[in-house]
Parts: sequence; structure tokens; C-alpha cells
Amino acid sequence: MPSLPRLAALFSGLILSAPLWAADIDAQTYGYPLTNPFEATIATTPPELRPLLPNDADIDQSDYAVKLRPDREFELPDNFWSVTKLRYRLAEQDGAAPLIFIIAGTGAHYASSTTEYLKKLFYGAGYHVVQLSSPTSYDFMTSASRFATPGISSDDADDLYRVMQAVRAQHPHLAVTDFHLTGYSLGALHAAFVSQLDETRRSFNFKRVLLLNPPVNLYTSITNLDRLVQTRVRGIDDSTTFYELVLGKLTRYFQEKGYVDINEAMLYDFQQSREHLSDEQMAMLIGTAFRFSSADIAFTSDLINRRGLITPVQYPISEGTSLTPFFKRALQCDFDCYITEQLIPMWRARYDGGSLTQLINQVSLYALEDYLKSSDKIAVMHNADDVILGPGDLGFLRRTLGDRLTVYPLGGHCGNLNYRVNSDAMLEFFRG
Amino acid sequence: MAKTFHCIALLGLLLGNGVALAEYSADDDGFKRPLQHLQFNPGLDQHEFERSTLGALAVHDPLESWNRRVYHFNYRFDEWVFLPVVDGYRYVTPSLVQRGVSNFFSNLGDVPSLLNSLLQLKGQRSLETTARLLLNTTLGVAGLWDPATRMGLPRQKEDFGQTLGFYGVPNGPYLMLPLLGPSNLRDTGGLVVDFSAESAINFLNVAEVSRSHPEIFLLKVVDQRATTDFRYGQLNSPFEYEKLRYFYTESRKLLIAE
Repeated sequence: MPSLPRLAALFSGLILSAPLWAADIDAQTYGYPLTNPFEATIATTPPELRPLLPNDADIDQSDYAVKLRPDREFELPDNFWSVTKLRYRLAEQDGAAPLIFIIAGTGAHYASSTTEYLKKLFYGAGYHVVQLSSPTSYDFMTSASRFATPGISSDDADDLYRVMQAVRAQHPHLAVTDFHLTGYSLGALHAAFVSQLDETRRSFNFKRVLLLNPPVNLYTSITNLDRLVQTRVRGIDDSTTFYELVLGKLTRYFQEKGYVDINEAMLYDFQQSREHLSDEQMAMLIGTAFRFSSADIAFTSDLINRRGLITPVQYPISEGTSLTPFFKRALQCDFDCYITEQLIPMWRARYDGGSLTQLINQVSLYALEDYLKSSDKIAVMHNADDVILGPGDLGFLRRTLGDRLTVYPLGGHCGNLNYRVNSDAMLEFFRG
Repeated sequence: MAKTFHCIALLGLLLGNGVALAEYSADDDGFKRPLQHLQFNPGLDQHEFERSTLGALAVHDPLESWNRRVYHFNYRFDEWVFLPVVDGYRYVTPSLVQRGVSNFFSNLGDVPSLLNSLLQLKGQRSLETTARLLLNTTLGVAGLWDPATRMGLPRQKEDFGQTLGFYGVPNGPYLMLPLLGPSNLRDTGGLVVDFSAESAINFLNVAEVSRSHPEIFLLKVVDQRATTDFRYGQLNSPFEYEKLRYFYTESRKLLIAE
């Protein structure tokens, strides 16, 4: 029977060449307590399940500033004096150590709570840590962004790369053994593009790159986020706005409790109380946070580029000028509005760009498919119930990354980053 | 026949139960489609965010131009003077001492809190604050330690602005106070009253000694800045002024209502 060895060879070939499956953590062994993705996104992990972190007092850290766009000091109105230089935070170890760059998520500051958490986690494990604002954040746009129109991922990555080089140049005596890179949410998408850029520019030769909850299709993500504020919330009527509804609940909760005590444990207690928020209300709360980001982006981009869509081009602005009328205009612009009114026109003018679909393909993870497939240093951690994903996105990640993808069953959007199981996995990945 | 019917009914029940359980069941990729179960407003009625936010911007602020200048002044003062001093203080002072200093001043602050709780006829709160004062001043050695919080009596601050609000005095115009930060006309008045009350009562003789030793007052100010987490620029938004104004107004409302 000559076919038997052949068959055996075929089978063994099949087994050996079997695709490397993503690590799917099942919900039972995972043990994350919040099964509601919205609750997880807002409240994140209960304090007792978080990893042990160093105290602020034990971290040798300072804020620094780099001047990357000296012209902005003269271009921007007076009341933007505080954001003409880009600030960042560096936490230093005593001796030589690997350095990790953290890129913040949509609209987020280098000192936002998630970057602070990641800093503490990695610092505690012996890394130098640099925290960077997101290219979509107000300070980055005014002080470090060349076009101040974030959304073209490769341009944003280029801006970030210059920032990282400037940061490195500002600390020539810092002893660094290896460079690592991570980012969460939109910052994870940026990290992927930065890593690709580094393959040619070679300033850092990143050893490992970890993407935490990245958007896969950027347009799906922003559509989801834009939609979150359109939920039908019970209790809103002509005389009660959404904020009044939430604040009313908070007030009643505290009245029942007898005193005001705002801390991390309070959120869980609040969700257990009679005044807890429904899914729609929580979705709206998350959506609201993102709408404020989109308002900031739309306003800042328009102002710096003098597009005149929100702020009239020659409008005199001093420190005493009210920005409220422009805030009112900007807050009516969601991400979709920003893309159609500012991003696409700029993209078409500058890069001879085409349709929206082309733009989406260029700025989403799709653009890096081959790179992600071939580059072993990149890993992704994502959640099965993340609100920024759409159907098929996890499939793309599975096909592209294979066993370098870990899918957690719960956690919403970035809610489980500070769960001990996740933090252990992150440290393990960088330890190699 | 009846049997199959039963079966179908049972199946239906099971499925009906299953709906609740399968709320976040995964598709082939393992994706749980978290937005699938949300209810959305119809297309023409999707303006709740805009409506709420525009409403929230309506804070009475006739002195806005002046207030904004003070906001920028405070921001610069914070960056160039206040925070460097606070950092220096933190650097030279052991954290145990820092905590002692904070506890000491917060114990002094319990005196106006007690007065205002009494003025608002809040019986239980007055008793609790009295107990705190007694415990912390004796067991806690003039307030350097805070054993009361450990015994389940957390600090419950009440100021005269809250008392006025309790009796229905309106906010008045929003004010950005130099160095002190956001306030409004009512709360500024309250601040003055609380300050005078504190010096009149002269608890532990601190108010009187501070008159000849301004460094005590300075220490109090530095301690207050060190224990306040807020940093200008922290919201990282061109509209920080508006957001701060709204947060301040709403948090005061909440403190008064509670």
C-alpha cells in the first residue's frame, strides 16, 4: 500500500502547517467580573483585582517639553500659550533599562488615567517609560502636528516618530538597552504605523510592539462611537437633558448614602444601587466623551489651518475672548462631520486622494496587513465585546496575526487593561 | 400531537430564556456585537447630545472676559510658582510629615464644617463632625493623625456657601478668583464668612499665632495645593474654561443637595 505513507505525509503536513490559532481566553477561566461591556468600559476593573503598582512618590518622573513647531508660537492666538510646546512625561530607572513608549488613545493627554496606569505597570517592572499624547489630542495638534489634521495614520505616525526622536535627543545620558512600543485604542493603531516607519528609519529598532484594543477599520470605530450618543435613553424629556438625568441619579445616590465620597469603588456600588445606569445611558456617556474629543479636534484643526468653518479666519482672539460660540459650533461636529468637512478635503488636496473607501483602507490596519503578517515582534490584545469593533474585524486580526492575537471574552473597550490577568500577559509579552 | 405541542412550548420557553443569556453571544469570529442590543433614536431625533451640551453651557457668567484672564493668570501662576513650590515641599518633606500637616489643617477645617452643619440643622452630620473633632484633637494629638476616618467617620466638609445654597440663595454670577480658582458670588461670600469665623473661633490658637507667623498660613496654602489634584491643562481641551465652569457649578449643586 504505497498510498499509506503518502497519506501519513499529507496528514503530518496538515498538522504541521495548521494555521496558528489566536489565543482565545474562555470566560470561565478568565474570571473578569464585569460582563456588561459598557460598564467595563466606564468603570474598568474593580480595585481588588488590579495589579500591585508602585506609588507616585516612588517613581522618579518629570514632565518635559520639546519645541517641534517654533512657528506655532506666532501663528496661534494668545490664549494657546500653554500648548505651543509639546509636553511629555518620562519616568527614569536608576541604571540601564529598556525604554517603553506609550501612545495615548483618542484625544487623550499623556497624563490621562490609562497612560498613567500603564506607566506605573511598566515602571514597576523595571522599564524607563515615556508617555506621549495622542496625535488627535489638543496639545499634540497645536505643538507637534505638521498639518494639524489628524486621521491620516501614516502622517500621524510620522509626527509621532519625530516626537520620539526629539525625546530621545533630549535625554542623551539615559541608558537604554532596548526600545519597546505600546499604545491603547487609537494609540495602538498609531503604534502599528510607527513600528512600520521604524523599519525604514531605524532610530529605535523596536524590539516588541504591543497593540491594546486597536481599531481595525477606523471608519467602523468612529461610526460606532458617533452612534453611541444616539441611543434612546429613558427619562429624557423636554425639561430634562441627559446630563441632568445622570446628575440627578448621582445626587439621589449620595443623598441615600448620606455623604459624598467619590472614589474608584464608588462606581461599582453606584451600579449596584437603585439609581444604576442602563446600557443606553452608559453608551451615551461613553459617546459623550468621544463627542467632546471630536469637538476639540474639529475646532483646533480648523483654527490652525484657518479653514474658517468654525472660527472666522481673521477673528481676533485674546486671552479674554469667549470661545463659547465656537464651542457651540464645534460640538455639533461629530467624527463623521470632521472627516467629510476637514480630513477628506485636506487629503484630496495634499495627496490627490480619492474616495472615502480609499481613505479608510489607507488609514486603517488593512494598510499594514502584510507588515503585520510578517512582523513577529507585533502582538495584539483585544476584547470580544469591544464597542469600537464591527463584525469581521476580529476575523481580520485572526487571519493577519495568528497566534500573536489574544482575544479576551470580556472587558469592553480597554476596561480590562488594569485586570491582573491582562497586566501579567502584557509584562510577559515584553519580557519575551 | 399534544406531546409535540408541549415540546414546542418547552423549546420556546428555553429559547425565551436563552435570549437573556445570549445577550452577548459571539458570532463566528468570536465577536459579541455589543451595540446590537441598544435602542437608538429615530434618525430625525438624534440631537440629545447637542441639546444637553448647549443647555450645559448656559451658566450665568457676565464677567466672562475678566474671568478668562484670571483663568490664564492662575494657569501661569500654577506653572511658574505654585507647582514648583509644591514639588519642592514634597521633595524635602517626608510623606509622614506631609500627611500630618494635611490632617492638622483638615482638623481645623472641621470647625467651620461643624458650624455650617449646625446652621443647616443637619443633626447627624453635626454629631459626626463633633465626634471627629473630639477624637482627632485628643487621640490624634491636635489633629496630626486622623483616627476618626479609620473608625468610620469620614470627613464631611460643609462651608458657608453650601449653607447659603441650602437656604435657597442662588449662585450669582460665576467668578474665577485669583489663585483660589473657580467660584461664584455666593460661594465667595461664603469663603469670607468661613475665614472670619475661623479667625474668630481661634481653635487651638492657630489663627492668632498665624498672625505673627505668616509661614503657617503659607504652609496651609501649600498643603491645600498639594492635596488638590486639579491641574490647569489637565482636561487638555481648548474649551477647558467652559468645562471647568460647568463642573464647578454642578458639583456645588450636588454638594448642596446632599
